[in-house]
Amino acid sequence: MHQMEFVERLLERAREAGLAMCEVYCASGSSFEVSIFQGEIVHYSSADSAGLTLRALVNDKMGYASTQALDEEAIDLLIDAVRENAELIESEDRQFLFGGGSEYAEISNYNAQLDALDVSKKIALAREMEKRALEADPRIQQVGDCVLITQSSEIAIANTQGLHLSHRCNLIGGYLSPVAKEGDKVNTGFAMFYTSDPNQIDLTACVQRAVREAVDGLNAQSIPSGEYRVLLSGLCMADLLSTFSGVFSAEQAQKGLSLFKDREGAKVAAECVTLVDDPHLPASPSSTPFDDEGVPTFRKNVLDRGVLTTLLHNLKTAHKAGVKTTANASKAGYSAPVDVAPSNFLLVPGQRSLSQMLEALGEGIYITDLQGHHSGANPVSGDFSLSAKGYLVRAGKIAQAVQQITVAGNFFELLEKIEALGSDLQSSFPGSSTFFSPSVLIQNLSVAGL
Amino acid sequence: MLSKKIAEQVLQVALRSGGDFAELFYEDTLRSVLAMNDACLEDALLSRAHGAGIRVYKELSSVYVHTNDTSPRGLIAAAGRAADAIGDLRLCVNVHLTGSIPANAHPYRQLPLDIPGQARREILRAAHASAKGVSPLIAHVRAKLLCWDSSVLIANSQGLFVPDRRVYTRLAVEAVAQRECENQTGFEGPGALMGFELFRDRVDPEAFARIAAERAVTMLNAQPCPAGFMPVVIDTGFGGVIFHEACGHSLEAASVAFGNSEFAGKLGQRIASPLVTAIDDGTLPNEWGSSNIDDEGNPTTRLVLIEKGILKNYMVDRLNGRRMNMPSTGSGRRQNYAFAPTSRMRNTFIAPGEDREEEILSSMGDGLYAKSMGGGSVNPVTGEFNFAVAEGYLVRDGKIDRPVRGATLIGKGAEILTRIDRVGREMRFGQGMCGASSGSIPTNVGQPMIRVTGITVGGR
Repeated sequence: MHQMEFVERLLERAREAGLAMCEVYCASGSSFEVSIFQGEIVHYSSADSAGLTLRALVNDKMGYASTQALDEEAIDLLIDAVRENAELIESEDRQFLFGGGSEYAEISNYNAQLDALDVSKKIALAREMEKRALEADPRIQQVGDCVLITQSSEIAIANTQGLHLSHRCNLIGGYLSPVAKEGDKVNTGFAMFYTSDPNQIDLTACVQRAVREAVDGLNAQSIPSGEYRVLLSGLCMADLLSTFSGVFSAEQAQKGLSLFKDREGAKVAAECVTLVDDPHLPASPSSTPFDDEGVPTFRKNVLDRGVLTTLLHNLKTAHKAGVKTTANASKAGYSAPVDVAPSNFLLVPGQRSLSQMLEALGEGIYITDLQGHHSGANPVSGDFSLSAKGYLVRAGKIAQAVQQITVAGNFFELLEKIEALGSDLQSSFPGSSTFFSPSVLIQNLSVAGL
Repeated sequence: MLSKKIAEQVLQVALRSGGDFAELFYEDTLRSVLAMNDACLEDALLSRAHGAGIRVYKELSSVYVHTNDTSPRGLIAAAGRAADAIGDLRLCVNVHLTGSIPANAHPYRQLPLDIPGQARREILRAAHASAKGVSPLIAHVRAKLLCWDSSVLIANSQGLFVPDRRVYTRLAVEAVAQRECENQTGFEGPGALMGFELFRDRVDPEAFARIAAERAVTMLNAQPCPAGFMPVVIDTGFGGVIFHEACGHSLEAASVAFGNSEFAGKLGQRIASPLVTAIDDGTLPNEWGSSNIDDEGNPTTRLVLIEKGILKNYMVDRLNGRRMNMPSTGSGRRQNYAFAPTSRMRNTFIAPGEDREEEILSSMGDGLYAKSMGGGSVNPVTGEFNFAVAEGYLVRDGKIDRPVRGATLIGKGAEILTRIDRVGREMRFGQGMCGASSGSIPTNVGQPMIRVTGITVGGR
């Protein structure tokens, strides 16, 4: 069955089955990925995908069921499962279906030109990326991953309360991991780019970053353990923000899993820190006119000069807290339940360039790579201990590459220990949330090395 | 399910432009998740994943197309797209499939989705109550019951047409211990390739929940781990993640075929201490990482990776096997139809040795005892790994001194393997989800207690 036809049929059958309050959430899209090794295509993937979730209120409890098969059998499965699942729920939290807002922002992160881009052009771009990396430095002997991606996706929500919305976006992106070799020393670098405008692709900058990381690290050494002043690159800070973004979620706070519970209005970070959730940021794939409950989105400061102004809410958590939703309802995939997540989460940049930030650092380390977030960071306690790479900085200048160290600290303490933010904004690879940060100067973190 | 005739047509279309091998992977999977937060069942989800992936090779090039439209028209259109991407010839190819049904070495007795929701919910309630009972410091308990019932069918242009059904059941418990504004967590996630009988035959939900809660409380009372280079004893079970991360990934053909592995070109050479024998076994009955066939339709195998320190085998999938001129070892795995398969681990473990566990600790001097490990990651090119210690203790003069938190182990796989100087007698598995280019898949890690003469320990 076609998706439209399936949704109409499903809502009709649900009504017949006595489900008076229900909603269908559909995610569909296409994706393309090509990876190149020594000029040859080693991996090529192209896909169309579609999936949808039915959720319904049965005796005030919300049941969920989802499917990728759009056939008669699936309709029966969804309706039965939604009812069964609702009956199992014990949580007393009040659940809502939203009837629609008065006004939705115009968001344009869809580019028709990109969906029409010829496959051969995408392959040529990936080849070009590998070629440039190999030519950039004789020590680059091969490129481990050299991947180009395009994605186009659409979200549509319709419910029995009159909601009827859809939004689509697309992007082109790529990443590469050049391998540098010198004698028996080996090191890899990594960099990525993305944009929704095929005319704005800057391969050169991306390749340079990756090659520099690979080559610089060849002569990297560990350093003695101890407390160091630290400059975290924008990308590293964006990744930390992503790992710890749950601490800003009212859902986590209400479950007692965020140490920001009941801290609204308190000063929780250094004065120079302002953190914005901006769902209308231009050119970001995470920008959207409505959240995953269909509520119109808006920009807000989450940290305002160090003060926690609000947590992020959906309809359920806002009702429980007696506030208005911040329109941050989010689903980790079409089949997941409604949770809370940021859209574009951005640490507002300062005035100083990267070299001025290095001067401000003076003596310390400049961290450019952090690994192990899924195991070495605990969002509940805020503790992290991560494998790191970067540079030793002496008298405000890069002195030597560093690797085989770990950097440890606590996210909540880190927010208070930020001395300055640079002007060099960088972003994580976009998903339903995207994280942005400039380089961040931190009083001190623990380093384990020699 | 898909008929043989349709599968033949799809493969013929896939090969029409000059490809030399084509494969169809068809899947229909039901997943159920029940999530309890504190004493309340909060989420109950059922999802049906459905789709097919078509792969075409031409020499070393490969194209993958996947779709949710599994009507004959949808599949043939997808096959056409794959064919168009691999070449521009127009050939007429004949594919003849011969069906076979592998014997099921991993029987399931009670399909979890046949068990009433209320009975499944009781498992979570028992786990919750048990964890809560450990200490008044346990502020929160999150428990999840995950059940998958996956039917796959794999057909390829060499005539293969083989189905498999995989039933997984897993409990995940996270306990949070809290004191003022401080939180520490403990996690246990036992699971198996079996039905709901898991909770009758293998897993006592209350016992696992208790372990998770005790760990959270211990860590709440722990001091930050001091940093430095020191001897480390890693305990049995999930401690095997050290081998998984530090060495296993670098022995996958996906890394070795491109020379992107520190172990490339070292077959037959010594890469580890002579005490180390390591095995990757996909055939162990009902184990979390087992299956009858891999996701390319090849029977799974028991593979000795390292024998007494000597590198014996890599884990090889079909495509990387072509590049390496080696046969598949039944190691081609993928999360689902939306991923092209690649070489992955199954149940990977260090074989039992001969050292007594008490002696391993008592003769270590000063160092770290990692009783329970968290996850980690690795760069297979350089072998650099990192992983987190979930429950660690400082050891002074061979005696356990005090619990420490926030410890991370970093290093290079090749160095760690040569520095193993003790291997204990009792091997146990721990269950994990391993993420790589072909998605997130169930894998077992395992080992006896081992000792490494020196590792960089990150802490504060």
